[in-house]
Amino acid sequence: MSFLKHTPLAWLNLTHDRRRLLTSLGGVAFAVLLIFMFNGFKNALYDSQVQLLQLLNADIIIINTQKNNMFVPEPFARRRLYQARAFDGVEDAYPLYINTANWKNAETRTTRPIRVLAFNPQDSVLRIPEVQSQVSKLQAPETVLVDLQSRPELGPITPGVETELGDRRVRVVGNYSLGTDFASGNGNLIMSDQNYLRYFSQVNPEDEERDLSTADIGLVKVAEGADAERIAATLSENLPKDVKVLTLEGFVQQEFTYWQENTNIGFVFSLLTAMAFIVGVILVYQILYTDVSDHWAEYATLKAMGYRNFFLLGVVLQEATILSLLGFIPGFCISVLLYNATADATGLLMRMTVDRALSTLVATFVMCLISGAIAVRKVQATDPAEVFG
Amino acid sequence: MRTPLAWLNLLHERTRLLVAIAGVAFAVLLIFMNLGFLGALSLTATQIYSQMNAEIFLRSPQTLEISTTEPFPIERLYQVAGVEGVDQVMPVYVGYQQWRNPETRLNRAMFVYGINPRDPVFRLPELQDSEAIAALQRPDTVLIDQLSRPEFGPQTTGIETESDRRRVEIGGQFTLGGGFASDGTLIVGDQNFLRLFSPRTLDRIDLGLIKLQPGANIEAVAETLRGMLPEDVEVLTQEEIIGRDRDFWIGTTSTGFIFSMGVAVSFIVGTVIVYQILYTDISDHLPEYATLKAMGYRSRYLFQVVLQEAVILAVMGYIPGLILSLGLYELATNATNGGLPMAMNFGRLVFVLILTIVMCAVSGLVSVRKVITADPAEVFS
Repeated sequence: MSFLKHTPLAWLNLTHDRRRLLTSLGGVAFAVLLIFMFNGFKNALYDSQVQLLQLLNADIIIINTQKNNMFVPEPFARRRLYQARAFDGVEDAYPLYINTANWKNAETRTTRPIRVLAFNPQDSVLRIPEVQSQVSKLQAPETVLVDLQSRPELGPITPGVETELGDRRVRVVGNYSLGTDFASGNGNLIMSDQNYLRYFSQVNPEDEERDLSTADIGLVKVAEGADAERIAATLSENLPKDVKVLTLEGFVQQEFTYWQENTNIGFVFSLLTAMAFIVGVILVYQILYTDVSDHWAEYATLKAMGYRNFFLLGVVLQEATILSLLGFIPGFCISVLLYNATADATGLLMRMTVDRALSTLVATFVMCLISGAIAVRKVQATDPAEVFG
Repeated sequence: MRTPLAWLNLLHERTRLLVAIAGVAFAVLLIFMNLGFLGALSLTATQIYSQMNAEIFLRSPQTLEISTTEPFPIERLYQVAGVEGVDQVMPVYVGYQQWRNPETRLNRAMFVYGINPRDPVFRLPELQDSEAIAALQRPDTVLIDQLSRPEFGPQTTGIETESDRRRVEIGGQFTLGGGFASDGTLIVGDQNFLRLFSPRTLDRIDLGLIKLQPGANIEAVAETLRGMLPEDVEVLTQEEIIGRDRDFWIGTTSTGFIFSMGVAVSFIVGTVIVYQILYTDISDHLPEYATLKAMGYRSRYLFQVVLQEAVILAVMGYIPGLILSLGLYELATNATNGGLPMAMNFGRLVFVLILTIVMCAVSGLVSVRKVITADPAEVFS
């Protein structure tokens, strides 16, 4: 326990001037906040794209071979699902139908396109408790559940509201919470497959007619304990090549990769995060440099007493570590508050996860180490004779 | 002449000054980048309209932006043709097609403009020559945007592929760019549009272009049109339609919120950086400031010194920040292959300069309290 016997020099240096310590921590906290915000926006834009997919109640997904992202409206023949049911280990397979229709705001009478998710109310398609408890209400004709996180432009969406969907009467019978993404900018409606036929089997010449013989996403459940990956491989091998078979994880990954490769989201926010990191290095350097300047004489005395440069380096690096830890905490707390505020204001999916928090903590630590390493050069170059000369 | 105290204070310790300037420069850079990204996104969302050869546009009030249109009767356009000041009216049809990459056989959503081959709908010179017009008139022939993403496959004239399961041939290229709505664009003749988008008809159009005679008053004609046309169409000038589409995209994708937040947080960080510098400076020179006070200088004078330091820091940080951002704008534009056309404009230059000065002034005002309350007797005791 030689550590405890030493005077905690780094700590005493930092706490020497309380007010300066507070400003320093404020500086680190804001650098942390910047990194968290830019990273948070990036993750939110990506996470939003896959949140619906992650809630699908399936182990294996069957889609049209051409559907390499949710924007591709290519359906596949529903009989592929019946074929899939015949395979060993497959417990059930059911279709999800997806389409877009114009929703009329009941107050302003303006319309907005909205994405419609339709399925047989008997099938448990979405892992959203509010949906599962309300599906029975969807059996009545011309009824829908509306996402509470839809854009406000949709107007009133409380149960009982009557308006128009694709020039046809529609009644809201319930709500649930999901959120928007790029493919459904305004929100999502949920209806039964029978109602889906009512809205989409006869449409304007500008739109494509749909019925239940083709599905957009096929959900496959495997028997308990069965190996989903192996079954997916078997299905992929044996089903005709007009469909693609993926594990749910693979399906989510496909969508994620599409957005990574086809948008500048990653580029924009990685650049901003990198700049926030540099700002943090400058901030912390400023703090440590001032501290080193102020205690120059003391450092020189230590050197004259025989302490090695290595020891002084240790002190400055300890200060850097303390600063990064103490600054991270308030930075993290403010970020969580701002994440919530942003989510409320925009509907963006701002998620703070343990590994995101940890990676930012590591970044903060590295940031402080870099600054410490630069600031310490001044101490190492210290010549006791010069300082007191 | 007075001693330039603010200047000397800052210059006293060179390294600290350099770090301070770097801090301000990076805060400025962050603000510039956030604004630059926002500007680039607004520009890509709307640059299509500045390529169209019209001063006034007609569209359904239910249309949200160029790719979410609600068709309206072509008669509205004919009604306009006779109005004084109107030179030409041109219908535009739009829609998405699944374009098959002839090499990989993978489909991807392509945005399609249908135009009358003889109408000068786009200002692009490539579309004006007789060869392009002839290509638009040939059955099942399309012109492809060279800025379409590489995933759409080769774009050489003569290549055959499928669009929504119909065989088509590439008849030529143009350079336009798709914006937010698409990453690949085709232009086809209206007869080919009918073939591709069957059962659509040509009497319901998505966008009406109105080209005015030279010298006509745009506002006055637009006003006349608003008075005579029924409510199933909206009359918009080019500026208005650009504003509408921009607001739609910036709102829908939350980009406006995200980058404004980026600017706000960068501003606060900049303030913290400058505050730290000024605070350290004041702590170090507290005895000197106190001496000045004891000599009879008013608080107002000290106040001015700190504010001057703040403004000097602002300007000295702004210049390298600006130079760095110009470099990064260029870099970002190149790195995204023109997908993010980041360009500086005068308004932004001035706005950020003012923001930087405010940022430094706020820090100055917060840190100066220590000087104002300095009591000479206490400092030296």
